[in-house]
Amino acid sequence: MRHRRRNFGFVVLFALGMLLVQAPLQDAVNRARPRVFDPSRRDPLQSIASIRGPTPVLIAALGGFRTVAADLLWLKVDQLWDGGAWYLLPSVMESVVQLDPHFLLGWEVYGWHLAYNLNTESVLEVDKRSWLDQGLQVLERAVTLNPDSWQMAFELGWTCFDRAHDMPRAAEYLYRASKLPDARSFAARLYYKTYERTLNFEKLWPALEYAQSRYKDEPQHQKLVKSSIEWWKTHQFDPQWHRYEIVRENSARQQRAVRFYLYPGNPYWNVCDRCGLPTKKGQPTCGACGKPFPPTSPKPV
Amino acid sequence: MSAQVSKLILMAGLIIVVAVLVLTRRIWGTALTHGLPSIWRIAKMTVAEARRKRVLQAVVVLVILILTSLTFFTYLNPEEQARMIIDSGLTTIAAFGMLLAIFIAAFMIPHEIEARTLYPILAKPVRRAEFLLGKYLGALIILGVVVAIMTVVLVGVLLLQDSMVEDLANSKFDPNLLPVLFAAAMSYCALAVLTALIMLISSVASTTMTVIGAVLLWVVGSMQSMLLDLSTKVTGATKVLTLAFFYAVPPLQNFDFRMEVSNHIGVSMPAAVFALERGLLYAIVALVVAAIFFDSRQV
Amino acid sequence: METVLQIDGLTKIYHSLFTPAGVKAVDNLTLAIRPGETYSMVGPNGSGKTTTLKMVLGLIFPTSGTISIFGKDISDLSVRERIGFLPEDAYLYDVFTGEELLDFYAGLFGYPRKRRKALVDELLTLVGMQANRKVPFRECSKGMRQRLALAQALVNDPEVLILDEPTSGLDPAGRHQMTRLILELKRRGKTILLCSHFLAEVEEVCDRVGILYRGALVGEGTLAELAGEPTETVVATAGLESAAAARIAQMPQVLNVEDGAVRLSKATGDQLWSVLQAVHDGGGRILEVAKPRLSLQEVFVRTIGEVQE
Repeated sequence: MRHRRRNFGFVVLFALGMLLVQAPLQDAVNRARPRVFDPSRRDPLQSIASIRGPTPVLIAALGGFRTVAADLLWLKVDQLWDGGAWYLLPSVMESVVQLDPHFLLGWEVYGWHLAYNLNTESVLEVDKRSWLDQGLQVLERAVTLNPDSWQMAFELGWTCFDRAHDMPRAAEYLYRASKLPDARSFAARLYYKTYERTLNFEKLWPALEYAQSRYKDEPQHQKLVKSSIEWWKTHQFDPQWHRYEIVRENSARQQRAVRFYLYPGNPYWNVCDRCGLPTKKGQPTCGACGKPFPPTSPKPV
Repeated sequence: MSAQVSKLILMAGLIIVVAVLVLTRRIWGTALTHGLPSIWRIAKMTVAEARRKRVLQAVVVLVILILTSLTFFTYLNPEEQARMIIDSGLTTIAAFGMLLAIFIAAFMIPHEIEARTLYPILAKPVRRAEFLLGKYLGALIILGVVVAIMTVVLVGVLLLQDSMVEDLANSKFDPNLLPVLFAAAMSYCALAVLTALIMLISSVASTTMTVIGAVLLWVVGSMQSMLLDLSTKVTGATKVLTLAFFYAVPPLQNFDFRMEVSNHIGVSMPAAVFALERGLLYAIVALVVAAIFFDSRQV
Repeated sequence: METVLQIDGLTKIYHSLFTPAGVKAVDNLTLAIRPGETYSMVGPNGSGKTTTLKMVLGLIFPTSGTISIFGKDISDLSVRERIGFLPEDAYLYDVFTGEELLDFYAGLFGYPRKRRKALVDELLTLVGMQANRKVPFRECSKGMRQRLALAQALVNDPEVLILDEPTSGLDPAGRHQMTRLILELKRRGKTILLCSHFLAEVEEVCDRVGILYRGALVGEGTLAELAGEPTETVVATAGLESAAAARIAQMPQVLNVEDGAVRLSKATGDQLWSVLQAVHDGGGRILEVAKPRLSLQEVFVRTIGEVQE
């Protein structure tokens, strides 16, 4: 026999030795690719059992072809979309993003579909709120799993701004988005807009300065920020009603912005039911006509 | 793992490895110092043999057809089209590369023994380790050529689609060519590691067992991260065992950059370098062990 | 006396799940082959001939015993530069032509391109494959394949040739050609170790024969040594009357009278003379008186029979 036992012993020792040598290298790979090898970066809701799809998709998913399985399901999403099966889409989209948590378009469309389309389609207020909350949760998961992606942070910030009207939260995510590499300039501009909407001058000025300090090679961005700065320099201390008149004359969009300030339940202003003009919350009487406000103010949305 | 513990483990491993290499130098050492011409000759013969096999040519043609059919996703928006083509194309390269690696390498040694084509060679002044390395090198060359052809076709498809698809305001077709080439090259490196493992199995097992073992190893190697995730959910001896498996399985997922490339996420060069180092070491282990086993194998 | 190949106490036992005690394929074999000698191992199927050859070449490993070629172990590459091997039912790489195959095998010895080219031409001429040098191996007939296989064994002009069933599967013309080639190689002074079932050809080419049975060497020597002294006498006659034939068959030491041939066993001169006279008296003509030696076939059958008893 040709030294079989001896050779087997050598093999075991050698393999063990090499394993020890390779372990630190693998750790280095794990650190360099946290998206793939960092267990703490996993979606807490991720579960292979919740992936829904035909058998070839599941086999592809298990065989290391997760991104292709996600693509196959995305084609299914496209098909369902064209067929108008909007309420079937969330489960398929959930499978897509679990298979490929870094498929940004998938997260974007998923969150948008819940927060906008299904929210709009619903009739009852409680359902609308539910879809909106689910959409926001989806986008939060997207941000957790893709912390380096400005698009995900922006998407969440925009949905808070435009749909949930939650300006503080929108500001947080829009600021985060604007700080990330490759972020587009409109993220920084939308960030300060959140403070414009709430007339939070304490934070608006630093935000404007921040926006101005970025994207110095984009003349259009600089122009827009400068015009905002000039406008607010002029109009910051206008009486509210005057500011609204000016704003109302300017554009339909700004009118909507004004109406936002004036809608019932607005968290920042009380609208007087005698003169129709707003007064900052906390004041017991109307700043324009002096009529006292009722003791309990409407709950903010 | 703390840096000191890492260093200790590294030192211990290096000592064991060097000791075994010195003790087994008779088997593999002279192959590298004196056997290079034989290794090259056997590699050339392996490539020439494969080139004349019609099965290989048919597979390459099939893959080219599959890749060119990726242009059929025209109903998607440009960004989705780019993702589909890149993802499916790289996956086709990885999958067919894997199949070819298995069928080339798994049939090498067992088939040579069964057909007795090995006998005239071993009667010549050729060491068994030289034969093994020559076959491995030949397999690498064949796989390299096939992967290169598939990559060129994929790049062609991307460029063609880029020229035909009109970018939209909020969606553009980004062929992402350099990262695609990088991902294909990494796929090839994974195949090199897999082929070394297949040579190891085939040095002791029959063709059927080699094919089955190779497929299992490829599946497990592609799911490294799942083992790591599993280790965070268990404790005690199970955790240690799971982690041991994680470090022991073929590091094929280290070379899988398809997710980054298809999602246009930047590729980490340090990760690629570490992956290459680890893959090289793993392949060396597989080949040295294969040489040791093959040296004792009765043909 | 100097030996080229020395085998001492060689034993090979195969163990398996179903035979844990093991099956002895070769049992304490000892033999020595001298330079320039043609030695043949013969034996029934499963007698250990091919197993022995494989151990000589290092393809399988002995359980015990030693093998040395030129005084060295087969794992020494310098030994393999001086030997050539023709395996049984040799399959070479079937997609290559004869020319390419020989070029490949020559390349394994490190010969430069010019030398390889000349060598390939020479070998193809020697084995009669010049006209078919561009034919792929898979399209060659059995005879052509065996000739190419022999050519690859000669690529390094070896001192020792090991041939395992070189005429196996060939038609009579093919066997004749192969035998002629082996004789030519013998004439060139090569030491040949040959395994074959075709005892007539072994008889033609070999100097010494070793008879293997169940892994053991049960007989060894030259043909004359194995056959021993001839004990039979054959008288070939013509025109012998049947009555006379019947009378002759009854004579002492006569074994039989068949087809005009009278066979005697261990007959003295006088007994032979009596038979010759009886033939003459019976009207027959004496064509020939001969004392034939036993053929290898007969020796083989006798030896195996004795062992079985």
